[in-house]
Amino acid sequence: MSTVLITVSPEASRQMRPPRAFHPRGFKVGNALGRPFMRELQRRVLLDALGLLTAPPRPGEIVEREYPEG
Amino acid sequence: MAAISRRCVPFTPFEGELGAATVALVTAGGVHCRDQPPFNIADDLGDETFRVIPGDVDAAELMVTHHHYDHADADRDINVQFPIERLRELVAEKLIGAVAAAHVGFMGYTMQLRKMYEETAPAIADHIDRHARPDAVVLTGG
Repeated sequence: MSTVLITVSPEASRQMRPPRAFHPRGFKVGNALGRPFMRELQRRVLLDALGLLTAPPRPGEIVEREYPEG
Repeated sequence: MAAISRRCVPFTPFEGELGAATVALVTAGGVHCRDQPPFNIADDLGDETFRVIPGDVDAAELMVTHHHYDHADADRDINVQFPIERLRELVAEKLIGAVAAAHVGFMGYTMQLRKMYEETAPAIADHIDRHARPDAVVLTGG
């Protein structure tokens, strides 16, 4: 199965060498998709993570993105 | 941990189109249905069991049992850890094909790492594969 990990602990996740991993910068543990009830932010994080499925493979790497509203 | 990191990256290519893909969620954030047994937070060794969450679950029926992170926000809106409602909206927008029939929650905290790696993780993968047949799985941590 194809997987993509959304991680808020990139250093810990990197040690596991996940096949696809996405790190929304600055998000805290317990808030992988961002803050509660911020539907559009959560949607964008989820879509960005899913986007790694069709992006050029970077196995073991963690792709990062900033969300100013996060 | 070091032994695991030396293994090859188990990369499975994604085939097909996202707009037709069935997507499942697997979270280490201790998410489960209210009518399922909570994870055992009393055991210092942790809990490496998992709970199967049906795809049509009401988000209000989900809760978190985990004592190693602050889940106050997830208690208010489960989508911050387990974005089941966001997945449904992506289906409605035809950006993904379907929400999988089964998802999984487990408590990422355990001192029995070998058991988690060699028993729980394959059992979760096997269950999801056989019961949900997803094209992709989104993983979230605790």
